[in-house]
Amino acid sequence: MLKFSHSLSVAAMLAASLATAQAADTINVVGWGGNWDKAYKEGVWDKYSEQTGAKIVMEEWGGELAKVRAQIQSGSITWDMVSPEAPSVEVGCAEGLFVSLTPEITGDPSKYLPGTIHECGVASDTWATVLAYNADAIQGDGPKSWADYWDAEKFPGKRGMLAQAQYTLENAMMADGVAPADVYDELRKPGGIDRAFAMLDKIKPHVVWWSTSTQAMQNLASGEVVMTDQYNARVTNDIVNEKKNYKIVWDAGFFYGTDMWSVVKGSPNEKAALELLKWFSIPENQAGFSKLYAYGTGRIEAADYVPEEWQKNLPTAPQHAKFGATYDTNFWVENKESLEARFQAWLAQ
Amino acid sequence: MSGGATRTGQRGRRQNMLTAAMVAPLVLFIVVVFLWPVARFLALSVDNSDISSNLSRTFAAIGDWQPATGSPPEPLLDALVQDLAEARNKGRDGVLAQLINQRQVGTRFLVIKTAKDAAEGKFDARPVGDALLATYPGWADPALWTEIIRARGTLTAYYLLGSLDLQRSADGGIERVPADRAVFVDALLRTIWISLVVTVVCAVLAIPVAQAIVSAPPAWSRIMFALVLFPLWTSLLVRTVIWIIVLQKNGPVNAALVFSGLVDTPLTLIYTRFSLYIAMIQVLLPLMVLSLVSVMRRVPASYMKAALSLGAPWATAWRRVQLPLIMPGLLAGSAIVFVFALGYYITPILVGGPGDQMISSYIAFYTNTTLNWGLAAALSVQLLLVLLASAFLLWTARVLTRRPAGAP
Repeated sequence: MLKFSHSLSVAAMLAASLATAQAADTINVVGWGGNWDKAYKEGVWDKYSEQTGAKIVMEEWGGELAKVRAQIQSGSITWDMVSPEAPSVEVGCAEGLFVSLTPEITGDPSKYLPGTIHECGVASDTWATVLAYNADAIQGDGPKSWADYWDAEKFPGKRGMLAQAQYTLENAMMADGVAPADVYDELRKPGGIDRAFAMLDKIKPHVVWWSTSTQAMQNLASGEVVMTDQYNARVTNDIVNEKKNYKIVWDAGFFYGTDMWSVVKGSPNEKAALELLKWFSIPENQAGFSKLYAYGTGRIEAADYVPEEWQKNLPTAPQHAKFGATYDTNFWVENKESLEARFQAWLAQ
Repeated sequence: MSGGATRTGQRGRRQNMLTAAMVAPLVLFIVVVFLWPVARFLALSVDNSDISSNLSRTFAAIGDWQPATGSPPEPLLDALVQDLAEARNKGRDGVLAQLINQRQVGTRFLVIKTAKDAAEGKFDARPVGDALLATYPGWADPALWTEIIRARGTLTAYYLLGSLDLQRSADGGIERVPADRAVFVDALLRTIWISLVVTVVCAVLAIPVAQAIVSAPPAWSRIMFALVLFPLWTSLLVRTVIWIIVLQKNGPVNAALVFSGLVDTPLTLIYTRFSLYIAMIQVLLPLMVLSLVSVMRRVPASYMKAALSLGAPWATAWRRVQLPLIMPGLLAGSAIVFVFALGYYITPILVGGPGDQMISSYIAFYTNTTLNWGLAAALSVQLLLVLLASAFLLWTARVLTRRPAGAP
């Protein structure tokens, strides 16, 4: 009998807690997992929950637009806000998968860095693929440009490279002396793609290819490679947490890409998600993420809320931004599949 | 007498029904969660309904118009606008745009934007041709229309051809894709070759190990058996990644080689075909040992002893007495190892070089990254055919190695 009444009271407590959870908003937010999610939870979402009582449930995905499409088609939408890469926002927006945002929610669009705001999304994080090297493995001056990266005589040793066309063709063009801002114009010209592949031919014997960041950083740590291309936060993470003697060569030129927060059209908590996005668009609020993770966000003034010492690790920092250019999302949306196929064939030759 | 026979027959039938009832859930389970989804996925390799059903009016309006003869006629563009508006309203414009872009690169936004405008009624005024072509001149491109016309029909050979590095030529025949895009045939042959090498090496390594386990005193046998099983309980990923650490430039193997003076500078061991073989063999070897041990336990040691005492050299005795007896275990183990090896894709990605990628890596790439499920399904069909062919070969080998009774 005692047992029974005990379980009754547990049930009552459960019912009560469920009721309160329903009273406040629950927003399902889908991000990139791992430390990225952790930085968002501790730096941003927890603050919002404290201020408004709304509950934010985090899920992890790999940016697959098809999953959003499937949820909308089947009519059972469980995701309220997702973080796709900019090319997917471009496609999803054109297809009508995401809610159109007004300046009332995003704030003044001119206050954002180029490429970090879209009709259907605002930047969740701005990351860069940078040239990084192990200063313990290279004595004296390190590489200063992508041309140096390609120069195996001047800098002996293997180089790490991401085993895909996207991000790699851009580096090849920079190594051939093209300024970041002109890379896509050159790639779109007849013969432009061939030019990039010809550059890749030159470096191929000196490359150790990687497919995951963990693998690439392991190769850099073990001396398998002396330099590598890499997402900037991964390098910063190892410099800060593992006291590695790595250097990021921002002024060699880099490309930055943007993941965006987009609200799924017709989701059960669409309104609550838009409220959250409106709150997130305030510079001080989104800066919470960059403080914990070395990626930038969209609002220019967000940098003011990041400690100066940490700011130099962000691709959006003013001293770096002038060496960078944004990835051309339209180029990759249309060309990705055919270029990756060509890259795979080239790789296996 | 006859009554007794009937009773036995009834009991047998009841027994059969009972067996059937016990197996039924398993069969049902396999059909529902395995066979049916696999069949549906494989069907995607020839399925063209996402194009044919969303462009039905357009295909009907094409008639015998040839793209080379000039800009598309008014009724065709009219049908196209209606089709795209409907696709937009059904939420199918994104898929359609992706599929057309696969065939004619650079048309994805053309299709999506036209569909959006069409659904919003921007092309409601007739004639529509001039308005459409003024806004989206891309629709006047004969190359695009050639691809669209080629894509008619509810079934398509596009993906199956693509998975064999083939494509339709301009005159409708079949031709090879340009050499810089040909990748799948090589990948398939490489997959079969790697799997074969792994299987043979596993067999050669496993036979002495299994023999040692079977011949050792029980206590030792148990310890050795546990040592074989132990790696099986470790995650595949861990067992693969460990090789990166062991074989890397400054890893223990290279350190030992340099220290012993065998080489002057560290060798490139990791991210090569060599490291891929090592990692795969280490992962798959226990399976071969297990299936050999189970058969060897049933082969009395006295047979070999008898052959030796009758004067046969050891090699002859082993080849003519022991090998045929353990052949069922060898074949079963080879089948398991070969089939497992065929499907490997994480290991080649992690420890192989760029020229060592296996067909499953490409299936994963097209399934997850580019969402080209048609091509992924076509590649899966290839893999399935290789499996069926090897099952047939195995069955033939079994039949051939079964020694006729009374043969010497």
